[in-house]
Amino acid sequence: MIGRVRSQTSEASKFMVDWMEHRTGIVTMLEHFLFEPVPKRGAWIYTLGSAVLGLISLQFLTGILLLFYYVPTTTEAWNSVYYIMNEALFGQLIRGIHYWSANFLMAAVGLHMAQVFFSGGYKAPRELNWLVGVILLLLIVGLSFTGYLLRWDQDGFWASVVGIKIGSYSPFVGGYITHFLLGGDTIGPATLSRFFAIHVWLLPAAIAPFIGIHLYLLRRHGVFGSDFEYTERISKLHEQQRMEEYDLYELEEDEHGGNGRDRE
Amino acid sequence: MAELQKDQITRGDFLGFGLLGAITGAILTIPPVAFILTPIIKTDVLGNSDVSENWFEVGHVSEITVEAPKDFDVFFPITQSYGSKVIQEESGVSETDYNVRNAVWLSWRDHEPPSFLEGLKKGDSITQSQIEEVNEKINVLSNSCAHLGCPVRWVITEGKGEFLCPCHGGIYDINGTYVAGPPPRDMYSYTYEVREDGHVYVKHEFDVQPGIPGISTQEPYVI
Repeated sequence: MIGRVRSQTSEASKFMVDWMEHRTGIVTMLEHFLFEPVPKRGAWIYTLGSAVLGLISLQFLTGILLLFYYVPTTTEAWNSVYYIMNEALFGQLIRGIHYWSANFLMAAVGLHMAQVFFSGGYKAPRELNWLVGVILLLLIVGLSFTGYLLRWDQDGFWASVVGIKIGSYSPFVGGYITHFLLGGDTIGPATLSRFFAIHVWLLPAAIAPFIGIHLYLLRRHGVFGSDFEYTERISKLHEQQRMEEYDLYELEEDEHGGNGRDRE
Repeated sequence: MAELQKDQITRGDFLGFGLLGAITGAILTIPPVAFILTPIIKTDVLGNSDVSENWFEVGHVSEITVEAPKDFDVFFPITQSYGSKVIQEESGVSETDYNVRNAVWLSWRDHEPPSFLEGLKKGDSITQSQIEEVNEKINVLSNSCAHLGCPVRWVITEGKGEFLCPCHGGIYDINGTYVAGPPPRDMYSYTYEVREDGHVYVKHEFDVQPGIPGISTQEPYVI
C-alpha cells in the first residue's frame, strides 16, 4: 500500500518536474545556477561574497517592511520610527535587523574586498568584476549615508549635516552638490524627501542590476583559485625558481674552477 | 569582429538619425533632469533662497554677558517643498510653521563691554551714540562650525574660555577668530543691526567673501 503511494507520488512529481522543464527549462537553469565548483583550499573564505548578498537581501526585505509604517516628513519621521520601535509588533526586531545588517554589511564588504585583493582575484579576466564591485561599494555607501538621515534624530541629522558639508569642499561644484543634496539652500523638508527617494528607490533600483552583473561575471569566469589556476601558477613559480638556481650554480662554477665554459 | 551593422549607413541616414536622436533625447532627458535639479536652478541660477530674508530679533543688549558669550535661538521661517508658503496658507497648517533653527552667539569683543552697559535693564531703549558703541564692540556669531557645520559650544579650560566644535575639535576665541583645528576660516558672523529698542536683529546672511566655492571660499550652507 505504502509502496504504491510512494511510486505514484514519485511519478506525479516527476511528471510535474518534466512538465515545468519542458516549458520553462527551469530544472536545467537551477542545476546551472546552484552548482559551482569552489576550490577546496580555504573554502570558508569564499562565503564572504554570499554573506554580503545575504545581508543585502535582508536589507531589501526589512526595508520593504519598514516602509509600511515610516513617514518621510519632518514632522512625522521621528514619530513613525518611534511607533515602529515601540508599538508595531516585532518592530524592534525588524528595524534592528535593518540597522545591524547595515552595519555588518559594511564590514562584510570590506572583508570581501580584502579577500579578493589579497588573493589576486581581481586579475585578468576578472578586472571588470572588480570594477562592478567598486560601483556596488559606492552604491552601498550612498545607501548608508542616505539611510542615516531618515531617522530624523539628532544623531542622524548632524551626521548628515557633516556629510553634506563634506561635499561642499569639492572645488567649483561644491555649492551645486550641497544644494542638490539639501533640495534648497538650507536643511529642511526637501532634504528629508530627497534622501528618502534616494534611499528607498534610486539606489536600490540601481544596485539590483549591478548585483546581477556581478554574479553573472562571477559565474562566467568561476571563483578565483580553482585547482587549475593554482597548479598553473605554482608550476610557473617552480620553473622560475629552478632557472634561478641554475644561474646560481653556473656562477659558482665560474668562481671556483676558473674552467667554466666560454660564454657566447 | 562582431558585425552589428549589416547595411551600410548613408550620410543622410546618419544625419537624420542624429537629429532625431538629439530631439528624442532632449525630450526624454530635459524634463526629469530639470525636475530633480529644481533646487539648484532656483538657488544657484535664479538666486532665490528658501530662508526668509526679513530681520529677526535675537535678544536685548543687556542680556549679553561679559565673561562668556550668550546663545540665543532664532527661528528663520523657510519655504521649502511641502513647507512652502502658498501650501501652508492654503491648507491652513501654518501653525506647523517650517523653520530652520539657528543658535546665535552674542558676546563683547575681547570681553570688553560698552561703558553704559552697567545700569542698562532688559527692555531699555538706547540712543544713537550708544548703538554705535555697541556696533563697535559686539560679536554676532553663528554656532555652525566653519569646518563641517556642527554646533560649537563655549568651553572653559584652565580658566580660559573658547569655542569648541564637538565633531572634529575646531577651536575659536571669543571673537570667533580661528585658533586651532580643521576649520578653514573664522566663525561665520551674521549681518546684524542694533536698533533703538536695545535689541539685536539678524538676517540670514553671513560674512562670506566671494571666491571659488570649495577652494578659496566656503559658505555655511546647511543651516
